[in-house]
Parts: sequence; structure tokens; C-alpha cells
Amino acid sequence: MTADTFLFWFLAFAIIAGALGVVLMTNPIHSALGLVLTMVSVAAIFVTLQAYFLAGVQLIVYAGAVMVLFVMVLMLFDLKNEIQAFSRGRIRGALKIGSVGILSGLIVGAFAKALIANQALGAKGSLASTASTAVGAIKPLAENLFFNHVFSFELLGVLLLVIAVGTVALSRSKGGTHDRN
Amino acid sequence: MTSMGTTGFEITVNLIKTVLVFLMMVQAVPILVWLERRGSAFIQNRFGPNRVGPLGLVQLLADAVKFLTKEDFVPEKGSRFMFYAAPVFALIPAAIAYMAIPMSVPLKLEGATFLIQGFEVNVGIVFVLGVSSLAAYTILMAGWGSGSKYSLMGAMRASAQIISYELALGLSIVGVILIYGTFNLTDMINAQHGALSFSMFGYTVSSAYLPNWGIFYQPIGMILFFAATFAESNRLPFDLAEGEAELVAGFHTEYGGFKMLMFFIGEYGHMMIASGLMATFFFGGYSIWNFTPQQVYEWLYGLVGSELLANILNTVVHFLSYNLKFAIFLWIFIWVRWTLPRFRYDQLMDIGWKTMLPWALANAMLTATLIFAGSYFIF
Amino acid sequence: MIETNIFTEITANHYLILSAVLFSIGMAGVLVRRNIIVLFMSIELMLNAVNISFVTFSHYFGKVDGQVMVFFVMTIAAAEAAVGLALAVAIFKRFKEVNIRFFEHLKG
Repeated sequence: MTADTFLFWFLAFAIIAGALGVVLMTNPIHSALGLVLTMVSVAAIFVTLQAYFLAGVQLIVYAGAVMVLFVMVLMLFDLKNEIQAFSRGRIRGALKIGSVGILSGLIVGAFAKALIANQALGAKGSLASTASTAVGAIKPLAENLFFNHVFSFELLGVLLLVIAVGTVALSRSKGGTHDRN
Repeated sequence: MTSMGTTGFEITVNLIKTVLVFLMMVQAVPILVWLERRGSAFIQNRFGPNRVGPLGLVQLLADAVKFLTKEDFVPEKGSRFMFYAAPVFALIPAAIAYMAIPMSVPLKLEGATFLIQGFEVNVGIVFVLGVSSLAAYTILMAGWGSGSKYSLMGAMRASAQIISYELALGLSIVGVILIYGTFNLTDMINAQHGALSFSMFGYTVSSAYLPNWGIFYQPIGMILFFAATFAESNRLPFDLAEGEAELVAGFHTEYGGFKMLMFFIGEYGHMMIASGLMATFFFGGYSIWNFTPQQVYEWLYGLVGSELLANILNTVVHFLSYNLKFAIFLWIFIWVRWTLPRFRYDQLMDIGWKTMLPWALANAMLTATLIFAGSYFIF
Repeated sequence: MIETNIFTEITANHYLILSAVLFSIGMAGVLVRRNIIVLFMSIELMLNAVNISFVTFSHYFGKVDGQVMVFFVMTIAAAEAAVGLALAVAIFKRFKEVNIRFFEHLKG
């Protein structure tokens, strides 16, 4: 068993464990820490897929800023164990889990059918093995982003500006959108 | 980032290097604590610890024995798991981030080249920034696990400060990335060898005495970066979160004994990353004034005569040069701590968002404009 | 017939099935949990699953467009998390309650 396979199975286990922790734990802070584990493991999965820059950005943006925000807000709320953490009612709960099961079964079934019928996606890196090392480099990513998608990139900047102004307006106690008077 | 290695030999060497760099960081902490206590004492016109051992050097060993024999307790209202987990997590981001910093010329023995860094990371800067931004979780877990309002408030303030100054930190490095055109730390150091020379607008500026270091290209970036790393490692003048007389002791109020020492190990770890990055970006890393490593190697070869010995001495000499710069920056961290007064929290946030962020943006824009104009308009 | 051993050779299908499982867990979280913050976290799980899927395809076809898409998805997810949390804080200040069951019968 090479290092690659061991790394994949270990990280997949960590991701699924973190995700189950998010959904199943009653204390919301434990859920948040489970999500941090998932985020860091997803960054490591990006590294095994040779997307190094995206792994770094995932760590900086998701694990370093968004999750810190989640954990801070949860600590401010100070909820101990919740009174009613999950959906009430057996039939409703069963219907919801059943719909999730159907969706995931459809997706996995589609992959299995493609694998048997097509064999199109073969072993790792086999389809474009010389190009895949170039994919990991940052320059092609930057060229594609700034030459082909520069308009969307600038729109992202405007979106972030709007979000920043809006968030400050929402949380001001005097003069914001949720002012008491 | 290359893989872990293809042969068993490579994998073993990589693992050993990882462990060695981690141990190096942990072993540097007692020296730093001694330096801080004696240095601060001399700044404040008093003696520091000078009873235990010569010059007080064994003081930290005595402190460690004292800490190890203290009672191990958990506050009643706190969360037990997080109270224990927070100090354990304190050193992990700092140690991982330090792996990416190159400390010397690669050692070339016959048949193998050993890199003198924990692990070679292709996207060096992004990796270091990403991993050291995980430090906010230590503080949050410590504040929450203590179960007291003062700890929680201190933790909120400290983590808000950390994520605010991450922005200024990242933007102040953009100028350096633009100039050297790479994220890789080794390539940046290689671009800083030799004497100062660059060409702009068709003229070539070169000097025989000054080295090609980053500080001559990015002075504003250096000041902003250095100031932002003070805030990232919660050092004075940005240490309101753990300031005595404001919040008792902030997020580590309820900690005693060895657990509190682990927090300080984490703080010194972040200081070490900051010093290492300062040396790498702006002061040439391991290079010695304006001599390239090849020139140093040839001088050593003329001195010693054997290739193997000259290679080893080359690596050692450059390692000492890196450590000298590293130690100077650590001393500056300690010096500033005991010289400047502390910022108030609203002043701190104002500086982070309203002063450093615009200056870093202006620096990045100015650098980009100058690089473009310098190569486009040839007079 | 599947000829390669699925445990020792990692193909694209492994990554895609991982992404599907993560997505399903996130979806189950959105449907089943009541706390509004845990709902947001489950949405982040779904977005991460989609990111894994994009990067997998980018790696296996050698094009970089998948990674550009991940860039955009990450930015928008971060922005949405910020606004969602600001709203949640405003709701908590007003009602002192973050259980969505409580808000089902609001009038006016």
C-alpha cells in the first residue's frame, strides 16, 4: 500500500468523522469543532489532488476565518445542550433520512454505472498525466482567472464590498437596519 | 510540494527532519525565556534571575520542575475536554508552519542533496499563512473551556484581533510576491543573493557594497509585516487580550502550571515564525551580506581543500548566518515588548483596519505599478 | 467487470463518492437539525463536497477551470456565512432563541 492510498483513506475517514460530528452532536460547539476537522482534511485532500494553492486558500479562508467566525458566534450565544436538537416525530425524521438516502443512492449508482460501462476515468492522473503536473502550478490558474474571467472576478470584489457594508449595517445597535426605534 | 519521498531512505530522512525541526523549536523556548527575563530586567534597571546556575541560565529548568509538581485542576463550570485540548493545540500550528522556512544552503554530499528545512513546500507563503491562522482556535478553546466571563471576553478580543491582522499580514506580503514572482521561499532567497542590482526604466542600478536584500525593494512592506506579526502572536504592544490589570490574565486566567507554559511555548513559536519570515523575505534568508553561496563555497574550498568538508562548512556557515538574523529579530520582539505601552482595544482595531490595511493596499498597488512601468517604459 | 482492486488503487471515483457521501451528510444535517447555526454549518459541508468534486474533475481532465470555479464558490460561501451569522446574531438578540421550530408560527 503506497503512501498515496493510505493518505486518501485516512483523510476520507477524517472528513466523514468530522461531518458526522457536525450532524450528530447535540452541543453546537462540538459540531463546530467537527466542521473544523472536516475543513482541514478537505485542504489536505486538495493537496493529494495537486491543487496546492487551493489548499492554502481553503486553510486561510475557511478554516482560518469562516470557522473562527462560527465558533465566536456560538460562544457568544452560550447555548448549553439544546432542548430539542433533532426533528421531532419518527415519520418525519424517517422521511427526511429516506430522501437523503435516495439522493445519495442515485449519485453512487450513477458512478458505478459509469465505471462499469465506460472506464473513462481511470487510475489517478492517467488521463492527462503530463498536464496534471502543470495543473498544480499556480501560473495557469492565475492566467485562466485573470484572462478569461476577469469580469466575474471584479464582480466578486463588488459582492464582498456589499456584504461587508451589509453585515455592519445589520449588526449596528444604533442606526443599523435592526435598530430598535 | 514534492511527495513524501519515493524510496524508504527519503521517507526516513523527511520524517527525521520533521521531528528535528519540531524539537529545535521546543528547545529554543528556554533560551528565549531566559533572554526575555534577563533582557527585560536590564531594560528596567534591575537584575533578572541570577541565582540558579551561571547567569541564571538554569532558571527555566527550576521553573519546569515547579510547574510539573503543581496540582492539575479543571474549573467546575468549564468544559473539561476543551480545557485540556487548548494547551495541547497551542504549539501545533506554529511547529507545522515553521517547517516551510529554509534555514541554510542545501547540503550536497555525494549522491544526495539534503534540504535544510523541515519540508519543501511549493506554495510556501500561502501554506505558512494558512497554518498559522489556525492559532485563533487555541485562544477560543482556552477561553471557552475556562468557564468564566473574563476568560471568554479575553478570548473573543484576542481572536478578533488575530483575524483582523491576518488581512494586513497577507496584504503586506503581496508586494514581496509581486517582486519575486513566486510563492516558494527557497526561490525568494535565491533571488536575494549577491550585490544589489536591478533595472528599471532602462537604467540599471547596482551597488557593490549593498546586498540584494528585500528591504531595499519593499521598505514599507517590511514595516507593515513586522507590525502585523506583533499582533498575530499577541505580543505587546498588541497584547490586550492577555494584559494584566485589564482582564486579570485574559484567556489563560484559569490555567496554572504546565498548561500555562504550553501557551507561552505557542506564543514563542509564533514569534519564531515571524522572525524566520522577516529574515526570509526582507533580509536575504541565509545569505551572508553580498556574497553568493558559490563565492563562499569557493573561499572555503581554497581554505580546506576537500569538497566534502567545504560543502559541510558552507551549510554550517550559512546556517549560522540565518540564526544570527533570527536571533536579532527575536531580540527586537523582546525589546519592543518592554519598551512600548499597550494599545487600548479600540485603538488596536482602528490601527488594524483603518491604518495598516489601506497602507498595505497602497503598497501593493504602488509595487505593481512600478514593476509594470519599469519594464514597459524604456527610456 | 471491475478489474482493479478498489482498496489499493485510488481513482477519480473514490474522490467523487467521498464528495457524494459528504453532500448527503450535509443534506441530512440541513433537514434534521433545528439549531440555525448548525444548519449553516451543514450548508458549508455541502459546499465543501462540491469543491472536492470540482477539484477532482480539474485534476483528472488536466484543465484548470475547475479550480477557478472552486475559487468563486469559496468566496461566495464565505460571504454567505458572514451575512447568515449576522442575521442569526440579530435574531438571537431579539428573540433569545435559535431553534427554528420556534419561528414556524410567526405572524405579521
